[in-house]
Amino acid sequence: MNSSIFKLIQNVSAVSKSSAILSSQFHTSPALCRVVSGKYRITKKRDKPLTYEMANPPHYIAHRKTWNSWNTSSLKDGLRRPETALEDEFIRRFMNGTWHGLVCSEIIIKRQFNHIRVAAIIRRAVSPTKMYFLLGYSEELMANWLHCPVTLELQTVDSFKDVVFKYI
Amino acid sequence: MSLFMKRNKPGVVFNTQILWRLNSTVAENKDEEEFRVLDILKKKDSRQKRIVRRAEVAPDRAEKMPTDQNWGNVWPGPRSFHPSSVPLPIRQGYVPKGQVPPGKKANAELMKIPNFLHLTPPVIKRQCEAIRKFCTEWPKLLNSEEAIDKHYPVEIITSDYCHASPTIRNPMARVVTLRIKLANLDLDKHAKDKFLRLVGDRYDEKTDLVTLTADRCPLRKQNLDYVNYLLTAAYHEAWTVEEWEKEKMEDDMEYYVWDNNQSKRNLIDWYHRVSGTEQVLSDEEYRNYDISSIPHAKEYKEAVSNLFNEGESEETIEKYGGTVRKLLGLPERTV
Repeated sequence: MNSSIFKLIQNVSAVSKSSAILSSQFHTSPALCRVVSGKYRITKKRDKPLTYEMANPPHYIAHRKTWNSWNTSSLKDGLRRPETALEDEFIRRFMNGTWHGLVCSEIIIKRQFNHIRVAAIIRRAVSPTKMYFLLGYSEELMANWLHCPVTLELQTVDSFKDVVFKYI
Repeated sequence: MSLFMKRNKPGVVFNTQILWRLNSTVAENKDEEEFRVLDILKKKDSRQKRIVRRAEVAPDRAEKMPTDQNWGNVWPGPRSFHPSSVPLPIRQGYVPKGQVPPGKKANAELMKIPNFLHLTPPVIKRQCEAIRKFCTEWPKLLNSEEAIDKHYPVEIITSDYCHASPTIRNPMARVVTLRIKLANLDLDKHAKDKFLRLVGDRYDEKTDLVTLTADRCPLRKQNLDYVNYLLTAAYHEAWTVEEWEKEKMEDDMEYYVWDNNQSKRNLIDWYHRVSGTEQVLSDEEYRNYDISSIPHAKEYKEAVSNLFNEGESEETIEKYGGTVRKLLGLPERTV
């Protein structure tokens, strides 16, 4: 992107050699500094369920809620920063896909030494047999991919309504 | 099968094919013995009903726990919080004033924070007792910092790192630092001067410590060998006197040595003239002349050396003036 702009500038300056034309090609507008990520809009009927995690916007992390990933990579001089971030994202997607429609909370990933502990709140919508299968399946596959022992620490709830903190 | 049997009253016959099907559609026929008929036009009244069979959840383990149980067996290792296993009425979460924070069940915040439920005081005590047999007694003679410094003058500093990753190796663990007090090294004046020039800014004047750090080799053992080699090499190099070092003149001196300079000759000559015992001395005699016979000469020597070595400052100038007054027998400055 930067290099292409640079080339454009080079071309323009080569052709016209005047900055008046160059400035006329850029349309600028003031930045709209409105933060919307991680925030939810209030509905008219006030019936949108929010979990505790969703009810507190991101700037309340470390004040009202904690991080979803616990590792030493995010500390100062931490090792394997990009790898850890990517692996965490992979674990989140894998968990959400494997326990499809069952995960009621964020996936919490805690790393200690070479041990990855994945915690989540799961809806009791499938039989315990299936749950046990999924548990072993997820642990085994993730351990193979991530080259670490992986432990799933699940808590089960009856329905999604159990984790609802408030309605907006 | 046993799971299934537990949940149903005995005596009721079920189709064993459907052992467990939650959220599934099951045709509820009044007569189970009959074959099901394909009902294309949906004429029959008995519509297929959706039956959600909920698993009966066993009561919490925490409710059945005796009060005198061994908690270390319930929670043996680090683990995310689980409300069914912890018999404590915990709440966590920020709520507006007047409301109650969310309870322990289905509370993701409690699962996020690291807990120390596996490290209760009795458990720690038990673990300490278990590893006590591997500990050895501290040597009695090394009872103070001075004794340790005396018997082990060389200090090796390394760091071990704890971090979360598939590998436990941390590249920073290879760095080795060696510290030794310069006073512990057996050096004469020339060797000390040379040693300090060799180590450069690795010597700290305030603490008298020489610090050698090595991180060039990939392993700690190699770096340890390397710092030991550096110290040995610098020490022995300091003791060698090269041929060209004899050609060092007064102009080459890096600091002011009072004994070699004109100031000492002037002082001795002046003293002899005043005391009426004038004599001719050679360079060598001037250099080795014992100035303790001259009153206040030691202070004068210090003051002149400081003036040259530390540079002119209010303090050094004042001290120089004071000693000269004392030397010449003049009264103290009164202003």
